[in-house]
Amino acid sequence: MPDLVDLLEQKRFLGQEFLTWLWYKSEERGGTVYLPSEGDVVLIFERHMLLEYGEGEGSESLICRGLYTELQEARTGLLMGKKIEQARIRLGRGNFEWHLTLRATMLDISGMRLPKSFSPAEDAGEEGGSEARILDRIGMVEEAVRTINELFRLFLKIRVDALWDTDELPKIRSWTRKAGLSSA
Amino acid sequence: MGLLTGAVSFVRYKVEEDKLPENFWSFADDRIRAHSFRDIDDNYEEYSIGWVSILNMFESDLAPPSYAVGDYLVLSLRIDERKVAPVLLKKFCQKEEERIKKEKGRPRLSRTERLEIKERVHLMLLKKAMPLPAVFDMSWNLSEGTVLFFSNNQKAREKFEEFFKKTFELTVSLQIPFLTAGHLLDPAEAEILDQLSPCILI
Repeated sequence: MPDLVDLLEQKRFLGQEFLTWLWYKSEERGGTVYLPSEGDVVLIFERHMLLEYGEGEGSESLICRGLYTELQEARTGLLMGKKIEQARIRLGRGNFEWHLTLRATMLDISGMRLPKSFSPAEDAGEEGGSEARILDRIGMVEEAVRTINELFRLFLKIRVDALWDTDELPKIRSWTRKAGLSSA
Repeated sequence: MGLLTGAVSFVRYKVEEDKLPENFWSFADDRIRAHSFRDIDDNYEEYSIGWVSILNMFESDLAPPSYAVGDYLVLSLRIDERKVAPVLLKKFCQKEEERIKKEKGRPRLSRTERLEIKERVHLMLLKKAMPLPAVFDMSWNLSEGTVLFFSNNQKAREKFEEFFKKTFELTVSLQIPFLTAGHLLDPAEAEILDQLSPCILI
């Protein structure tokens, strides 16, 4: 197997295609994605997106910001062949909501705001309060990771299926064109 | 951006070995104690790396209650480093060179002399510099063999990978999308994935 640096470069497209597919999928159902194992998951792309075009020294970046702009520049960028490198996402499951930035190359996460499920004040001074706080925070982080893994698995299952070329890809292309043209 | 306060940033790892060492908690206790953080505030050492409690960066006398949390092993990696700002080094080197030139009555110094001055000045400044601390949290899910490291910084990541291996004699591999995919798909699907090339989305 090639080393990690080569793998990162050769398979970089996987994460980028995943983020684009997620955006398409979330807009297809008005901000939710249906996970067979979990039901509906809220997934909204918001505020901040970074797109890239090309590789190495010749690569270009496009940063798109704006709370209520519906990321119009990013849509135009997609139409020009740029790929999503990172996106700010609102993720909701049941009563919990996370805000996070997901990066395509490594699927690493930054600036993740966790749901409020625990009040440290309630347990201050109680024995085991620190342990409960640690477990609560880890639980919330891992819950988000599991959900992202499930979304990624859903994408991968479609991506390796023969229907990708005949069904899913044409739908994504149609969405990209529509989204790009409506913002132009 | 640590685990316990505010927003969190992290990368994901998988522990390569399927099985944990036997009598794991006893093994971990020995290894963590042997690799706990050693303070360098009161000496002139340039660098120190080791484990501390996730609740308190000054707590390095670690016992299981401070890091064994349910089915997780939770620790912080503390790295203290004395650094000399290049601009300071340059200033004091020039100052020392000027002093020696005057003392010896010579217009210029040899390359060897200048290198010797640079080394001496660097050491002098290093002794005056206080170590800068950096703390990175990690949580190890023992039942799933996964680790979250709470930083996206590449240098910190590399130091963590190396120190985790040194401490526990286990290797962690960064879960980039392609490797994560390998765990999420069945073998036949993973084989197809291996052959895929980028597609055009427009």
